Amino acid sequence: MLDQVYGAIADPTRRAILGILAEAEVNVGTLAEQFPISLNGVSKHVKVLERAGLVERTVQGREHRLRLNAEPLREALMWLEHYRAFWDTRLAALEALLLKKERGAGSGQAENPQEDGR
Amino acid sequence: MTVADETAPVLVVRRQIAVPRERVFEAWLDSESLAHWMRPGNFTHATVTVDPRVGGGFRIVMEGRTDGGDYEHRGEYLAIEPPSLLSFTWISNATDHKPTVVTIEFHERGTGTELVLTHRRLAPKAVEAHREGWTDVVRLLDEALTRG
Repeated sequence: MLDQVYGAIADPTRRAILGILAEAEVNVGTLAEQFPISLNGVSKHVKVLERAGLVERTVQGREHRLRLNAEPLREALMWLEHYRAFWDTRLAALEALLLKKERGAGSGQAENPQEDGR
Repeated sequence: MTVADETAPVLVVRRQIAVPRERVFEAWLDSESLAHWMRPGNFTHATVTVDPRVGGGFRIVMEGRTDGGDYEHRGEYLAIEPPSLLSFTWISNATDHKPTVVTIEFHERGTGTELVLTHRRLAPKAVEAHREGWTDVVRLLDEALTRG
């Protein structure tokens, strides 16, 4: 399912559709007006987004109302946030270690082997 | 209409380090160094094995957390080009034990280094997503999620 989400996101028109729906619910016709491609073309993109669970459609008479469902992207966002924090803290530790070594080498003193927790 | 089936969210992290890039590069392949800086504060020690060649593997096991858990990362080196490029697969609990790809560029900035780390969720043979597009939509959807 997550791969379908990524596939859905891969297309710039579909990303633009999601951008519009992030602001407000719209019907398909109104949505299609925002794009230079045909209504049929926009509909096909919307169907891909629906299959990925990112867009929900409500039919009221002749109107097809579209709503964003951001839930499927939570996992992807969480992954990005997790690893952003992970690498930020690791790189900070790397920098601290390298600066400590560099200072130790520069002053001509032997490196102090004392380390926390080892 | 073609759909790129294999895409990936891409994370990019940058850092300036006031140390020559040769030193920064080395620290990624030296098991003693890794055992120190790869270990977060709430673990008491780390065991690292590194086979620093393309196709070689690495394993970083962090141990000794107060709740008794330990945490393993492992992977395989895809590219080793000192002092400028390092790339490896990265597998852990947080990746559902699926391979992700980390690529690190080391750029000379005066006497220091700019490190650019890219972390891709899927293996390199997958087609890459438009990075900027993904970042934009993540931002938009992040706002939508917080709005509820």
